[in-house]
Amino acid sequence: MTTVKPILLAEDNPRDAELALAAMEEHHIADKVVVCHDGAEVLDYLYCRGAFKSRECGNPVVVFLDLKMPKVDGIEVLRTIKNDVNLKPIPVVMLTSSREERDLAQSYALGANAYVVKPVEFQQFISAVKELGVFWGVINEPPPEKN
Amino acid sequence: MESATQDRPITNPQAAPPQPEPMPPSPASTWLRGLREGTERLAAWISQWSIEQRVLAGFGLVFLGILVISIMSYRNTAVVVKNSRLDTSSHELIQLLGSIEEALIAAESGHRRYLVTGDESYLKAYRGLVDQMPEFSRYLQALSGPSGQEKRIAELERLIQQQLDIETDAISRRSTQGPEAVRHLALPGVAKRELDEIHRLIADLETSAQQATRTRVLHSAGTTRSTIALLALGAVLQLVLLGSVYFLIHHDITNRRRVAAELRRQGELLQAANKELEAFSYSVSHDLRAPLRHIDGYAALLSKTAGESLNDKARRYLQTISDSAKQMGQLIDDLLVFSRMGRQEMLHSTVNLNQLIRTVIHDLRLDLQGKVISWTIGSLPEVPGDPAMLRQVFTNLLSNAVKFTATRPQPRIEVGASRDTPGEVTVFVRDNGVGFDMQYVNKLFGVFQRLHRNDEFEGTGIGLANVRRIIHRHGGRTWAEGSLDQGATFYVSLPLKRTSS
Repeated sequence: MTTVKPILLAEDNPRDAELALAAMEEHHIADKVVVCHDGAEVLDYLYCRGAFKSRECGNPVVVFLDLKMPKVDGIEVLRTIKNDVNLKPIPVVMLTSSREERDLAQSYALGANAYVVKPVEFQQFISAVKELGVFWGVINEPPPEKN
Repeated sequence: MESATQDRPITNPQAAPPQPEPMPPSPASTWLRGLREGTERLAAWISQWSIEQRVLAGFGLVFLGILVISIMSYRNTAVVVKNSRLDTSSHELIQLLGSIEEALIAAESGHRRYLVTGDESYLKAYRGLVDQMPEFSRYLQALSGPSGQEKRIAELERLIQQQLDIETDAISRRSTQGPEAVRHLALPGVAKRELDEIHRLIADLETSAQQATRTRVLHSAGTTRSTIALLALGAVLQLVLLGSVYFLIHHDITNRRRVAAELRRQGELLQAANKELEAFSYSVSHDLRAPLRHIDGYAALLSKTAGESLNDKARRYLQTISDSAKQMGQLIDDLLVFSRMGRQEMLHSTVNLNQLIRTVIHDLRLDLQGKVISWTIGSLPEVPGDPAMLRQVFTNLLSNAVKFTATRPQPRIEVGASRDTPGEVTVFVRDNGVGFDMQYVNKLFGVFQRLHRNDEFEGTGIGLANVRRIIHRHGGRTWAEGSLDQGATFYVSLPLKRTSS
């Protein structure tokens, strides 16, 4: 891999974001992480518009998506990604507090690649986020980029 | 002694003050008072009846009335029919008596002419009578029964026979000894006295038959009138019955409509409440967990970054913060599971409890950490139910048994089933663990109710609440027996046929 492709973390709660970053820090992948604070920002990033107009275009290696976010929620973002031919190949991991059956079913129906419930216990949270980051950001081979 | 006498209860007849003599009541007023008291007692008794009993009693009374009226009308009609039959026979009797009288007169005058002239042709009437006599007699016998005149008719027959005998005697003397022998008989007639007697008797018989007929006609008319009145009363009663039936059915239908509307409204309310509850638990699931994660996370980060410079006390405080956050997280998770148990759609399939228990025990073995438990598993049936939910039930019961026998040197756990009540099976889980005091038995199945301190046995106290909720949803019951330090037995009963919501 020549260029380092970013991990996109959609997390409206700055504390959760900080904790997630702290977890990834331990595995030195935090610098790959781009944090968006709501669904609209995620879409702006993916479509290289708004605040991300000037970024070097290209899909992230994975999107970690919270369900409950202001403006555009996780489910809506997921639907947009999976309905767009260019964005569809991006692996999307739902990273949420909800274990509700409804959310699980809906996410998988829309094409989520994984669904992870954030553990309350920090150690478990750290290891979960770390493993996710390592798996999707390092181990997993992302889909080839069409140019 | 004196005080002892005074202490006697005044019910003692000797010690009781003399009762004022009541006025001797007149018999009529006593009777009236008795009637009034009786009516009051009856009213009090009836007021204790349920509405169904009252309706039934009312219907019973009306039915009884209609029955009595029907029987009386039938009997009245029978009387009228019988009277008309008696009238016919009276009429026939009168006719017969007339014929007999006529024949007797003809025979008597004919035999007298024969006695005078010796001309046998005058004996035609006499011979006719003799020939006809047995038939007359039979006819009289037949009519004597219904007319109630047996004695008079027997007397009549005897007189007729006597008359005939006398005439026969005279005729034979005339034919053998000639006219001289009977001359003294011929003119006045041989049996004039008997004949008069017969006339009188026949007149009597006719009069009384006519009189009886007149009485019967009057009686029949009265009976017919009363029959008509009875039938009218019966018709009124039937109308009352029909009216009450209509009223009751109408009342019932109105009631049913009202209840159905009420049920529908309640159902809507319940649905709304359920939706609200769902939104609430969703929000709990999302929003309550995040701050807990932060508390635990930042406590961990703090202990990591400042760990070196912290003393033991500070480190312990941080640990407590972290532990409490974890515990609350567990409580929230348990509560969410419990709430989901109540709402979750139930899967209807058949569960083999034998297999289920084996799977649960197999899963538990991982947590036993080498501890040896003596298991006794009886034969268990198949029951209708949700496999995942029932698995939760037995996981909770068995892991409880494992948990509370952990302090025993030789833990024993027994699972078995009995079928004492028809249509359901009772499964029990018995252990020789620490048991519980029966006075707290009602708390066992409550949410977050615990009988042990956290440092004795860990747990949030949701397990048995889940067991109860699941078993109730299956249409079964839960209960427990135990005593302190003597082990405990938990029972769940499950219907063998599907009844649940």
